[in-house]
Amino acid sequence: MTWKLKTLIAALALCSGAGAAQADGELHIYNWGNYTSPDLIKKFEKTYNVKVTLTDYDSNDTALAKVRAGGHGFDIVVPSANFIPIWVKEGLLLESRPDQMENFKNMDPRWVDVPWDPGRHYSVPWQWGTSGPVVDTAIYKGDINTSAIWLDPPAELVGKIDVVPEMNDVMYSAIKYVGGKWCTDDKAVLKKARDTLKAAKPKWLAMDYGIEKFDTHDYAAAFYYNGAAFRAREVTPTVRFGFPKEGFALFMDSVAVLKDAKNPENAKLFQNFIMDPENAALISNFATYANGIKGSEKFMRAGLKDAPELNIPAEFAAVAEWQEICNPEVNELYTKIWKDLLK
Amino acid sequence: MAVRAPFSVRNQPGFVAIAAICMFALYLPICTYVSYAFNSSGTGNGWEGFTLKWFGIAWQNREIQDAAWRSLQIAVVAATAATIMATLAAVATTRTAPYRGLTLKYVLINQPLIVPEIVTAVALLIFFARIKVWTDYSGMGYLFIAHTAFCIPFAYLPIRARLEGMDLTLETAASDLYANGWQTFREVTLPLLWPGIIAGYMLAFVISLDDVVITDFIKSGGQDTLPTFMLGQIRRSISPELNAAATGFLALSVLAVTVFYLINRKRN
Repeated sequence: MTWKLKTLIAALALCSGAGAAQADGELHIYNWGNYTSPDLIKKFEKTYNVKVTLTDYDSNDTALAKVRAGGHGFDIVVPSANFIPIWVKEGLLLESRPDQMENFKNMDPRWVDVPWDPGRHYSVPWQWGTSGPVVDTAIYKGDINTSAIWLDPPAELVGKIDVVPEMNDVMYSAIKYVGGKWCTDDKAVLKKARDTLKAAKPKWLAMDYGIEKFDTHDYAAAFYYNGAAFRAREVTPTVRFGFPKEGFALFMDSVAVLKDAKNPENAKLFQNFIMDPENAALISNFATYANGIKGSEKFMRAGLKDAPELNIPAEFAAVAEWQEICNPEVNELYTKIWKDLLK
Repeated sequence: MAVRAPFSVRNQPGFVAIAAICMFALYLPICTYVSYAFNSSGTGNGWEGFTLKWFGIAWQNREIQDAAWRSLQIAVVAATAATIMATLAAVATTRTAPYRGLTLKYVLINQPLIVPEIVTAVALLIFFARIKVWTDYSGMGYLFIAHTAFCIPFAYLPIRARLEGMDLTLETAASDLYANGWQTFREVTLPLLWPGIIAGYMLAFVISLDDVVITDFIKSGGQDTLPTFMLGQIRRSISPELNAAATGFLALSVLAVTVFYLINRKRN
């Protein structure tokens, strides 16, 4: 082939949709359920001429168990921050080097040197958020930036509170509330946390997923996730999300490529693709959590960009931290308290 | 002398109350859930009027479509295969003089009823994962095989019950009249057995349709069934279109059962 012909082909390829030639094929994504924007998938399929399949999981443990067993057929997985070190340690992830990708420049520097993937050698932020008190301010007018909303509820809220049935999130907030450190095995602190939880539980209405019941005023408060609080506010304008001053945990789910992926090149394309602000905004528009890509705000739907739920106020930023995985002995203690609470 | 009414469970004290509680516990949640599918309120809270729009939206949702279609495929394949095997197994274990090891065979056939589902699921996950790595095949075959396996006892039990209740003299008579084994089976046993087979098929079909644990563990990329898909949605909220899809599935099952019931009644 002459260089002219080559140039011509390259030019044609460029015109017909950004280097589609090298990326034909498939991509199998394994992600949390109801978390992936269909528009994002459609756009990726169209841009790279790749057929994408999406399969759901409902817990980090399920995803880990399936991939560990091998033969799963997935290319991409989206584990939570505290699970990524396990995935890396077990050699399940491909070092796809997102930090060397073209769109890496768009990643918010705040999320680059995270303790669980320093320098981002494996993963790209999908969405991040936090859990905290959600309050209908038509019913309670006091300070909502405290875990006391659900751990020592004011009279207005008693009997109208929903608490998410997630052990780690609940335990984290309770331990912080009584002044302890996450992953502590200090019996005095844990006893205090347990007593607080047990005293609070009779004042709750439910421990369920989903906080749509603000709409009917069955719930006046909840301990839940900020993205969901945003959606609740869209329906019931008086709902607010609080950032507890006692401390709160950050979570982030990140996109990583599996070591035994059949389509690693497409998977890397996908990682690069979602670091494009316009595409990252599609993720947020669907699931209403922040995404970690600079400039994506411009493309977010109305109301989401400045949503108070998704932007941690400067005064509370210092008490936010990553929720690590505790060692098995500590975890066992927490599980015991949790089971006791659920009784 | 007063005539005593013959014993009937209906005359026992509390019968009506207990029956009513059972009916409520069984059907009230389902009715509530179904009503959500027709509720025009998007959040599923409070009644805001009747609508069919969710059915239209669900019908157009590619993910729901794919998951529902996959569920049906698996249920048809698994129920058919399981019923054939269960019929053969039932004939073999009832039309024979008892021998050593027969009980062991019952236990083996009914193993999925005894072993906790999660154990089977993890075992299959590890086992199939090896095969997937070796053969590089990760299609629907694994789901077909797994579903067939755990559906067998559900098809087997009604068929065996029917066989045991059948009059053996008819088969003996057929043999006396020089029918060979196949003819006896084809002309006498099978027609009489038919209601049992249909009952077994229906049970297997429904069991396959709503399986979550095993499916979740062995599904490969793009193989969500309607139940695993619904499970994945639950952290956010159950959307009304999903209610509509599930209602459609329920209607389909009820329809299938009704049709089989009508066929059955005619034959008898």
